[in-house]
Amino acid sequence: MNRRFFLGLAAAGLAGSSAFVLAGTRPAMAKAVDVNAVLHDPEAPTGGNPKGDVTIVAFFDYNCPYCKTSAADLARVVKEDGKIRLVYKDWPILTEASVQGAQFALAAKYQGKYETAHNALMGISGRRSSGDAMLEAIKASGVDMNRLQADLTSHGQKISALMQRNHAQALGLGMNGTPTYLIGSFRTSTLDYRGFKEAVAEARRRQTAK
Amino acid sequence: MPEKLIHRTILAIVCLVALLGGAALAQAPLPVDDAFRLLVRRDADAGLRLEWQIASGHYLYRDKILVAGDKAPAVATPPGETKDDPNFGPTEIYHDHLTARLGEAPPSGSLRITYQGCAEDGICYPPVTKALDLATLELSEVETGFGFGATREVATVTPASLAATGEPALATAAPAAPDPTSLMTGNLAWTLAAFLGFGLLLSLTPCVFPMIPILSGMLARSGESLSARRGFGLSSVYVVAMALAYAALGLVAAWSGQNLQVVLQAPWALGLMAAVFTLLALSMFGLFELQVPARWTGWIAGRTQGRAGSIAGAAALGFGSALIVGPCVTPPLAAALLYVAQTGDGARGAAALFALGLGMGLPLIVFGTFGGRFLPRSGLWLVRVKQAFGLVFLGLAAAMLLRALPEDYALPVWGVGALGVAAFLGAFDALDAATGWGRRLQKSAGLALAIYGATLIVGFAGGATDPLRPLAFLAGGRRRPGVRVAGAGGSVGSRLRPGPVHGECRRTPHSCLLYR
Repeated sequence: MNRRFFLGLAAAGLAGSSAFVLAGTRPAMAKAVDVNAVLHDPEAPTGGNPKGDVTIVAFFDYNCPYCKTSAADLARVVKEDGKIRLVYKDWPILTEASVQGAQFALAAKYQGKYETAHNALMGISGRRSSGDAMLEAIKASGVDMNRLQADLTSHGQKISALMQRNHAQALGLGMNGTPTYLIGSFRTSTLDYRGFKEAVAEARRRQTAK
Repeated sequence: MPEKLIHRTILAIVCLVALLGGAALAQAPLPVDDAFRLLVRRDADAGLRLEWQIASGHYLYRDKILVAGDKAPAVATPPGETKDDPNFGPTEIYHDHLTARLGEAPPSGSLRITYQGCAEDGICYPPVTKALDLATLELSEVETGFGFGATREVATVTPASLAATGEPALATAAPAAPDPTSLMTGNLAWTLAAFLGFGLLLSLTPCVFPMIPILSGMLARSGESLSARRGFGLSSVYVVAMALAYAALGLVAAWSGQNLQVVLQAPWALGLMAAVFTLLALSMFGLFELQVPARWTGWIAGRTQGRAGSIAGAAALGFGSALIVGPCVTPPLAAALLYVAQTGDGARGAAALFALGLGMGLPLIVFGTFGGRFLPRSGLWLVRVKQAFGLVFLGLAAAMLLRALPEDYALPVWGVGALGVAAFLGAFDALDAATGWGRRLQKSAGLALAIYGATLIVGFAGGATDPLRPLAFLAGGRRRPGVRVAGAGGSVGSRLRPGPVHGECRRTPHSCLLYR
């Protein structure tokens, strides 16, 4: 696969998405998606190895059963691999409470506990958690709740803006729902442990082959 | 004996379909409007029917179906299947098809209909809200999600404020108990009429002949007291009992179908059913005969002989006879049962099969009342009736198959079907000067059909998907997207197939190349 071929594909993809926008079916896709903004949004929490050679971008919702089942496998692969950079895209689209959960998790980032809060929320069993249940889970995970409230108040606008950007990027990339994972240059939804490993290996192979 | 073997093979296939409850094949998630297609109709009683076509491998949540608006009528949804996920507890969901009913709706104004679902292979869709114009019943896009795109207030940590911003304040009509009148509306009357008609058609084939000796034997044994009236009474009881036996079969089939709905939607199950229908069709074309073993017939006839002549005897005999049908009833009956199993509606299934039995029995009543004078004579036209059944079965097989295949394949499947029907209409048979006009007309129709069928196949080869304009590609019309990642080396297992880019990325999120 030569580089030119992929550039051509990318152009085709962008042309396709603009045509889609012009057709007016998804007004939110008004802007072309900047790949760099997807991979390197300074506000978006990251995990794994910051210098990893493969980047996984996870679009998820805290009330999404498939997100919860795949989150554990993803975390395991990221940890075992050691060279994966993980970008968290809170994309609360399934329930009203999902938005609250995302706000709590993103606020916890300001005390350095985003992943703690994220894992606590993903670990809640039960199908649709209320905002209260999410708050309980975060509290139990050891996040400082007074600090959380303070950060929600002072950084509320930034948090909202980040979620808006995630939303626009997801729609811009033609995503249908959660979870959606970008693994290198691939896009997938729910995978299991083996699936993630294979996808990472293939993404890595493609990058080095270029 | 080859027939026996085929018979057993079919039985084995049906059992397999019934027994293997396993996982449905994973399919790529679709855009949400393709996954769940909503259509609204108005019933005779001013109520509204909301019909969702749910793509295979996708499901809707029962408790996420909401209707809001001024004076929004209550929405009644049927009980769903229970999806019991060990991690997330039981929830009620719908596969394949859902009909919800709204009470009396005002003639104008608008309602907002919200629904939400997931794909089995692991992606959940945001809730979809459509605006329904009550005057025109047209649906328009309101939003996907729940207004997330707008600026939102930031949550706060206190539980009190959570209550305030908690659940969406939609004036929702809660899912209610299933509507008991649902059976009486819809197309039940048509279904019954169709099954009655099928039954009558079946009775014109030699299928019902084995029953005539049984019936006449019974009538003969009631001795000299046999008047036309008594003959009518006895044969009616006989026929109704037979129809009841079919109704019982229908009930069982529908009940088991209800429990197998998920399995029956899986591509392999659809394929197997298509195969069964094809075999049944071949049987109708006379390639082989399907028949219940003769000793069963003899056994039932022997058991009921003692009580013959009485009303109770006639009833017992009729019930038993249902199971000893002749060589050609078996395939249509199996087809009818499969159809009913697909609907999963017990009452409807029982009623439909009852109608079928009644239709089959009507000529028997004529026979019982008047003797053999009015029975139709067997002949070539009876073979035609069987062939017509065969064609119907082939059509059903094609419909099943197409549900498991991408839409693109509809063209060649129907094209081949059209060619087949054309052949039966005699499109390729020679005529001579003496041929009558009827035969010539038939050949013309057959030829037209043959040309259309061939065009569909050519159209498919040219990349067309529209059955009305299969040759549009010649005029530079729409082709199927041809961009594929050719020769993308290194397979990554079944889940990671390097696929086409963006445009189709929406269709195959499992591992399509996205950018770069």
